[in-house]
Amino acid sequence: MAGADQIAQAPRRWWERRWIVPLALALATSGWMLAVEGRQGLARDEAQYFRAGERYWGWFETLGEAVRAGKPGRAFARATVDGFWGDNHEHPPLMKTLYGLSWRLFHRCDCAGPKRGLHPIAVHGKHRTLPLFARESTAFRFPAILLAGLGVALVYGFARRFVGPWAAAGAAVLSVAQPHYFFHAQISCFDAPIAVMALLVALAYWKSLRSPRWGILCGVFYGFALATKHNAWLIPCFLLVHYLWIRRNDFRWEPSKGSQTLPRWCAAGGAGGLPTRRFLRLRPPRVPLAFLSMASLGPIVLFALWPWLWHAPVARTREWVQRHTQHEHYNFEYLGQNWNLPPSPKQTGQWLLRATFPFVSTAFTVPVTTLALAAAGTVVLARRRRKSEASDEPSLVNSEPPEPGARASWLRPGADVDLAPGIFLAVQILGPLGILALPSTPIFGGVKHFLPAMPFLAMVAGVGLAWITRQATSLVRPSRLRQALPAALVVLLCLPAVTETQRSHPDGLGHYNLLAGGFAGGASLGMNRQFWGYSVLPLLPWITAHRPPSNHIYWHDVLHDALIMYARDGRLPVAIGDVGVGEPLVAQADLGVVILEKHFAVYEYLHWESYQTTRPAQVYAHEGVPFVVVYQRAALPPRQEPLPP
Amino acid sequence: MKLSSIFDADSFRRRRLAYACAAGIVVLALVETANALLAPLRAPADRDWRAATAAIRAGFQPGDLIVTAPDWADPLMRMHLGDLIPLAVAGRLDAARFGRIWEIAQRGARAPETEGGHVAQSGRHGALTLRRYERAAARVSFDFVAEWSRATVSRVGLGGQVNWCSPLPDRFECPELPSQSVKPELLEIDTSPHLALSTQPAGQATTVIEFDRVPLGRELAVGAGLHNVWLRKSGKGTVSLRVLVQGRELGRIEAGSLTGWTLRKFDTSALAGQSQSVRFEITVDDPTSRTLGFAAEART
Repeated sequence: MAGADQIAQAPRRWWERRWIVPLALALATSGWMLAVEGRQGLARDEAQYFRAGERYWGWFETLGEAVRAGKPGRAFARATVDGFWGDNHEHPPLMKTLYGLSWRLFHRCDCAGPKRGLHPIAVHGKHRTLPLFARESTAFRFPAILLAGLGVALVYGFARRFVGPWAAAGAAVLSVAQPHYFFHAQISCFDAPIAVMALLVALAYWKSLRSPRWGILCGVFYGFALATKHNAWLIPCFLLVHYLWIRRNDFRWEPSKGSQTLPRWCAAGGAGGLPTRRFLRLRPPRVPLAFLSMASLGPIVLFALWPWLWHAPVARTREWVQRHTQHEHYNFEYLGQNWNLPPSPKQTGQWLLRATFPFVSTAFTVPVTTLALAAAGTVVLARRRRKSEASDEPSLVNSEPPEPGARASWLRPGADVDLAPGIFLAVQILGPLGILALPSTPIFGGVKHFLPAMPFLAMVAGVGLAWITRQATSLVRPSRLRQALPAALVVLLCLPAVTETQRSHPDGLGHYNLLAGGFAGGASLGMNRQFWGYSVLPLLPWITAHRPPSNHIYWHDVLHDALIMYARDGRLPVAIGDVGVGEPLVAQADLGVVILEKHFAVYEYLHWESYQTTRPAQVYAHEGVPFVVVYQRAALPPRQEPLPP
Repeated sequence: MKLSSIFDADSFRRRRLAYACAAGIVVLALVETANALLAPLRAPADRDWRAATAAIRAGFQPGDLIVTAPDWADPLMRMHLGDLIPLAVAGRLDAARFGRIWEIAQRGARAPETEGGHVAQSGRHGALTLRRYERAAARVSFDFVAEWSRATVSRVGLGGQVNWCSPLPDRFECPELPSQSVKPELLEIDTSPHLALSTQPAGQATTVIEFDRVPLGRELAVGAGLHNVWLRKSGKGTVSLRVLVQGRELGRIEAGSLTGWTLRKFDTSALAGQSQSVRFEITVDDPTSRTLGFAAEART
């Protein structure tokens, strides 16, 4: 293809080396997140993964002790393995293990003091660590943050296969500068990590089309993805669609063995008596190495990384699969409705809700300029498909044309064909969204469930960036201006996404884009505002200061594990009260927190009745949109100011 | 410097549409960036809330209703004015009985409760607009929730046998009903608060709540729905509330998991000024996880 001016030249100086830009992007991303993650509260699921991660680390401690005692087999006994790895076994362990390891290495330990009892494993004394982080939760989050940086670098590297360096850098920035993605990327959960893993597997698959080495790596990476989150089950399906597309000319009808006399009614045009025909069978393309590798190495890597499977691999794998295929329906607010029941065939509106949710949510949550760039990129990629000559689409570079005279094999299944990047990106984007739109999929809600689409959407936006910079440079004459324009335009076009993301923090879940009208617009549209009870963090100083004498506090959706970590981080007193979860417990507390989600309204009314007031003592709001309320029994004089974010 | 020395006019003429699209995206980026920077500044500040609150407190009269538009700002409003919003007002059947309604609005929104009112007072307080609407209020001649203790409650089996429920200070106790009680309660119906009579309907029987000598007006407003989001999620049955006056059926309300809070207004103008018995009959096809809440007002 053309665009030779955009194809990377041989590096001449150190800063022109291939790894410099992705490394800089990764460091900038991780640095950005480390700078702001402390303002983001601990999410409910995250708090469970803190606990599980520390427990998993406990197994390694036990293994070390067993080895020192000369009896390593003890650590592999079923009871020992299950004692540590049975915690939170509905999710695979890779990220939790990394979180636990990072905590062990990098926290600043005051574990031997009053906080000793807050750990899920025995603490025998002060840990020797490299104390990079003041808060333990940051040490837990560090691997997720590093992985987010890796994701940005991968987007750059992948996008460079289609566009020039500035557009690829823009795509990389746009992949993380999305408020919802940014929210998930800095916490110790699996949603952004699985998006990065999906990207890694996809990149390996893409390269495997021309290189057998990457075919093998694809299987290893797929194992990592499987060990990250169950979304990985779907990755091969999306890749298969692309593979079948690029090898579509290989499909052929072949005669089957033996012939068959056809009945007269289906023998059109036969002449001279009863016709005979051979039955035809569809012969698909060969199975390539990447898929064989995913099918074989993937489960092996998963098994090796997940001790919980070791003693009952089949039964426990079945349990894991059933847990997620028979998942309950969550409550989720969408377009003003609390959505928690699957639609029945008679309920057209409910079907529509279901089918539109991922697409409407994407349209309302991804920065609008990014969407516009993606639309432009889609047109560019669609036009490319129709061109016979690659040079007709100058916005794109093509570093991987079919090799002249090459023959495809299962080791290099894409050697002789165009790799169809448009179809590839389309499937990676529409696949995760489409799955969520199916009526048979449990109601999950949340952009987080189709985050794996977002890096690819950013790559398409990168193609749009390349197109715009191409238009601009073709319009201006002065060479200096032509040289400066791509950088200036990429910065300008990434600016809204970065600004929106920074604006959304720490409440990225409640942020909606310009089309929706921001936080307030999203609330007016009846879109989900939050989940996981993370948003209580700004209220912790007030709650601590106004702790009732009884110390009976109802924390609603703030999980006890989160309270423990807040205490370990020094953001709550160690002895902070917690009456527990559930409607009857509201009446037992003298201070009550309610996280404002539509389906949680019942808990607010229970407080009204129990405390005989509708007046919250405190409200946390972001841009005027309430997120959390706190009720106080028997009226100490309430403060009037909503806390700023 | 001539423009032609900077721009390639030929290229521009050939690819006008492409340039227009590209320019459009650049303009969009500028607008979106500016909006991201400025929108937080347009949100109502605490001083706006304090100013609007002070204005309301200066003119508030007992029986006034205070609402926000959009309704998601309600917790902030209640933090400032919650002492003026008792449970009965927050859990109202509807807004018909309120003649004076204070509305704290933002972003050009208007509260549905103010429908039919005229603006008697208006003012801006930063990003908030305060309006007082006035209109003719419905006069409630009988509030069935407030007067719950005047009812008689029974359970009528399929064979017609009647089991009476015992009146207690805070409820009717019905040993054969799943929850064993009928009582006034603040319920969550359709994720909104409703002060209503709550009961868990019994299968294979009719729960009857009857009020004698109800002073009727021109209409009987009845609202009903199923309580508690978790129960609505787990149960499947449909509860039927049949409304009868002096033995004649006025209508029914069907309450299922997705029907929300259903408000119906039955015409009783033919009986206006009369005192009649009003009877509510509650049945259900599957009683699992069903708690019905209903409220009613006779209005002139």
